[in-house]
Amino acid sequence: MITVEGLTKKYGSTIAVDSLSFTVKPGRVTGFLGPNGSGKSTTMRCMIGLDRVHSGIALFDGKPYQELKKPLHEVGTLLDAGNAHSGRTARNHLRWLAMSNGVSSKRVDEVLELVGLMDVAKKRVGQFSLGMKQRLGLAAVLLGDPKVVILDEPANGLDPEGIRWIREMLKHLASQGRSVLVSSHLLSEMALMADDLIVIGKGRLITECTVPDFVNQYAKKWVVVKSPQLTSLVSLAQEQGMHVSMGSNLAEFHGAEAAMIGELAAKNNVVLHELSTQTGSLEDAFLEVTADAVQYHGHAETQSKGVAS
Amino acid sequence: MIALIRSEWLKLRTVRSNITMACFAVILPLAITLLTTVFIDVYSVDDATVSVVLLGSGSLSVLLFGIIGALAITQEYSQGTIRLTLAANPHRIRAYVAKGIVLAILSGGLAAFIILVGNTAGVAILDSRGAVGKLSNGDMGQAYLALIAIGILVSLLGMAIGTLTRNPPSAVTVLVLWPLLFEALIGGLLSVAFSESIFKWLPFQTGLNALRLEDYELDFGRWGSVGYFGLWILTVSMFALVRFKRRDA
Repeated sequence: MITVEGLTKKYGSTIAVDSLSFTVKPGRVTGFLGPNGSGKSTTMRCMIGLDRVHSGIALFDGKPYQELKKPLHEVGTLLDAGNAHSGRTARNHLRWLAMSNGVSSKRVDEVLELVGLMDVAKKRVGQFSLGMKQRLGLAAVLLGDPKVVILDEPANGLDPEGIRWIREMLKHLASQGRSVLVSSHLLSEMALMADDLIVIGKGRLITECTVPDFVNQYAKKWVVVKSPQLTSLVSLAQEQGMHVSMGSNLAEFHGAEAAMIGELAAKNNVVLHELSTQTGSLEDAFLEVTADAVQYHGHAETQSKGVAS
Repeated sequence: MIALIRSEWLKLRTVRSNITMACFAVILPLAITLLTTVFIDVYSVDDATVSVVLLGSGSLSVLLFGIIGALAITQEYSQGTIRLTLAANPHRIRAYVAKGIVLAILSGGLAAFIILVGNTAGVAILDSRGAVGKLSNGDMGQAYLALIAIGILVSLLGMAIGTLTRNPPSAVTVLVLWPLLFEALIGGLLSVAFSESIFKWLPFQTGLNALRLEDYELDFGRWGSVGYFGLWILTVSMFALVRFKRRDA
């Protein structure tokens, strides 16, 4: 279990992480979300003592990271797949790490096999693709068979097979009772992988809840209706102040419950072929909740072209 | 601590540039010594010939030990492995000390190897060429020991400078220019204002003077000079250690 209490990190006058508190429960995959520059990576670095904190603490099963005697047995971290000497072989990279925490060479071979890098164990890391480096990073995480796993963007650079593999791997690790904290920008992946979410923006906690609760709370909902008398139903709904958008053979009713639409149709003898509630995705919910916390906004090229023409 | 030292040793020996640098540090003084003993006029040889050549060329190795020390830590920053090092061992002082011990053993060991092979082979070559008289003298042993000590100290200095700069080119530049340029420049300028005696307070000048065969003309004596140089390195190392402990990795 990870407990973060009041973590604050400042760079000069800039507050990168602002009194951040959350918990990561054992047996669950917890997604760590936030826009670029929101402080996710900084938080992870502070949690394991790589960056000095201004105030606050991160506890791993009640102990600060600095008090762990052999940290690789307690906490496995992958903060950047590029953190490996390009001139060293994959096996030697894992061997020095293993040696520092009393992990056997046999375990090094086990994790290389587990991540599928045994065939390239004697190759230099500099010759690896980003995906292979991610796998090597994950091998390093698993070296000490830790109870807590912290990963920063582990799916970066992985092909679809690799993404699926890491998803299954993390779910498997959580199913063994480990606490798994993972940040990712691949929200579709997060929706498939995470049980809980911690969402931050501008270094502050925005929300901490389960994935279904997050989507229910923040994603937009609307009712889709198909009917041979669609025009009359839309007119009736608009008379009652509902916002409706019409398609070719269906209409979307925003800000209304399916039951209300159903009752309205029944009262006015309108035949319905479909009446269903639609909910936005995790991505929709994320964009909605972090709209005010995004530091860097992009603009579609078509917008500027339109202005120019 | 033993596990950490073994881990640091593995780290050091599994990077090709470190091995290359160590090979240069060994081959350079041996080649100079052996070539000198092969080609020197055998009638100009005296009891100090081998040791003077070996100690002179050994001071080049000392500088290379410093570069190995600097690279050992700066590579960790440039390659990002410092984060793994400190995640695997959050006690930063222990991590620093373990690396320092490995560097000290490596540079001390290499210096001893250079002395052993260089002196034995040099004397054997001169002997085979028919050199007459003694080929060793009484001060030789102490000077050789000083070479080992200076080698260890400069490798630790390289590590300290590397810790402060965190950047391989900067660390190597500072380390090389310190004895070759800065001290000569500072000494030259200050000697105008003060006197020639200012040179004895310059750390590298004094430290490398300890490698002279005769120590009677040294201001602090051989081991006093090593001690004075060591004090400077201790100061720089303490400063580096404080920064290493406090800075974000």
